[in-house]
Amino acid sequence: MNQAVISCLHANLPAVEAVLKDIELQGITNITCLGDLVGYGPQPNEVIELIRDKEIPTCQGCWDEDVVDGLDACDCSYPSQLAEKRGHFAHKWTTDKLTTENKDYLANLPYSIRKDKCLFVHGSPNSQHEYLLPDMDAFAALERVENARAEILFCGHTHQPYIRELADGLIAVKIKNAVPKDTQEKEIQLPMRRIVNAGSVGEPRHGGTKATYVVHNDVTNEVKIREVEYDIELTCKAIIDAGLPPIFAWRLKNGFEFAEQAEDASHVCER
Amino acid sequence: MIERWALVSGLKGDLDTYELIQKDLKKTPGNITLFVLGDMIGPEKNCNRLLHRLINPKSNDLQPWCIYGWWEEQILLESGYRGDQRAEALRINKGEEVVNSLTNAVDKSFLDWIAALQFGFVELDCGLIHGSSKDVGENLTLDTPPLTLLDRLTRLQVNRLFTARSKQQFHLELTEGIVNSEVEDLNGNRKKEQKVPQKAVIGIGAGKNYTLYDVGTDNTQFVQAGYKTEKKIKGFGRL
Ligand SMILES: [Zn+2]
Ligand SMILES: [Zn+2]
Repeated sequence: MNQAVISCLHANLPAVEAVLKDIELQGITNITCLGDLVGYGPQPNEVIELIRDKEIPTCQGCWDEDVVDGLDACDCSYPSQLAEKRGHFAHKWTTDKLTTENKDYLANLPYSIRKDKCLFVHGSPNSQHEYLLPDMDAFAALERVENARAEILFCGHTHQPYIRELADGLIAVKIKNAVPKDTQEKEIQLPMRRIVNAGSVGEPRHGGTKATYVVHNDVTNEVKIREVEYDIELTCKAIIDAGLPPIFAWRLKNGFEFAEQAEDASHVCER
Repeated sequence: MIERWALVSGLKGDLDTYELIQKDLKKTPGNITLFVLGDMIGPEKNCNRLLHRLINPKSNDLQPWCIYGWWEEQILLESGYRGDQRAEALRINKGEEVVNSLTNAVDKSFLDWIAALQFGFVELDCGLIHGSSKDVGENLTLDTPPLTLLDRLTRLQVNRLFTARSKQQFHLELTEGIVNSEVEDLNGNRKKEQKVPQKAVIGIGAGKNYTLYDVGTDNTQFVQAGYKTEKKIKGFGRL
């Protein structure tokens, strides 16, 4: 059976509606959301209400956590002071806009969702703020999946969709200073594991302007990245009308290539 | 002259053992650097005399280089050095009495010194920490999955990690590591074979059991204070 995984909706209602339509057209009813329902975009309440209405199981994203708990991630989340300032502005705007009921909903979202061999998280099993980039150290990536006791780890947060397979791993170890001598060495085969990043519905940063999400077939284990067009102009107008930084609209229209992320992907915020 | 490190932990206020180690090290050949990897304090003994000695070494003492350990973290938590948090894990696991014993074992005048201690040292390509690079309370042992060990090494970007929290003495080499990675994104596919160079995790022991590390040859020696005998440790058992 096919399941759809969506992430980083970022209060972009036209994008969310287009993606849900695309999922529906494929006859997929099993949907999981990896959080960041809000932040950057102009329709936070509308997006939350749509997800609640459709009863889509959702993890808590970094933005969802921060608008509830206050900004407690360290400054590493932003590549520049300007980006940080814009982020803080959007944070305050979103916090002011959200209804109490929707804030409560965000506050009570789980950090992770487990379905059989699949684990769904926003950033990584360690933190909503950790970026699992596609080219991060392969052993460290494998450790994230293994330690979480999953076979497939679905994550978001980078806004760049990818599928990574880690296979044929092996670690050989040897005890120095050991007795008896015959039990000094062993080889450990590492299991094949996958990390699937669902990209971003409402704030794509893969270089294109289309919304992205993934479809996973749990029988064939095949994963496909889907790209969906939506009415970008509509969202951009809403951003400007809401008084949010115009660069948020510019980014959506031009297809921003980079996530606003720390240079060191292995960095976990001290909180 | 041979460059040697002496790695000590878990003294928990035991000045006699510390003096015994200092005496041992005077007889040990080589240019020795003494590292104390945390747990200088504990709830069992009054720790003030040891702390005073660590801060004010005698003229013929080897200068100790200290970091904080799990027990230091508990007293800092309990004394309000970590914001609103308190030593709840300790309270739940060992009870209120142990929390009180710990705070009574250390004079408040030492707390600022303890709070200024570092989480770990990075020397050459070695990381010296109390627990792991993830958490001061994490036990690394021979039974820790190698993938976890590799991750803790990677986090500090070191080739050797000296750890004390498990109290065990071991020298585990990760002699080879290989994994194939294939990434598919909207730009296509890319494959990469990743290998790791040889790395090691070394358990240094606690209390009287400490470790000598020969920097030039990468050899460890597990020592018991006062005995100077090298202890052999057990292997994996039957495989
Ligand atoms: Zn996001
Ligand atoms: Zn995020």
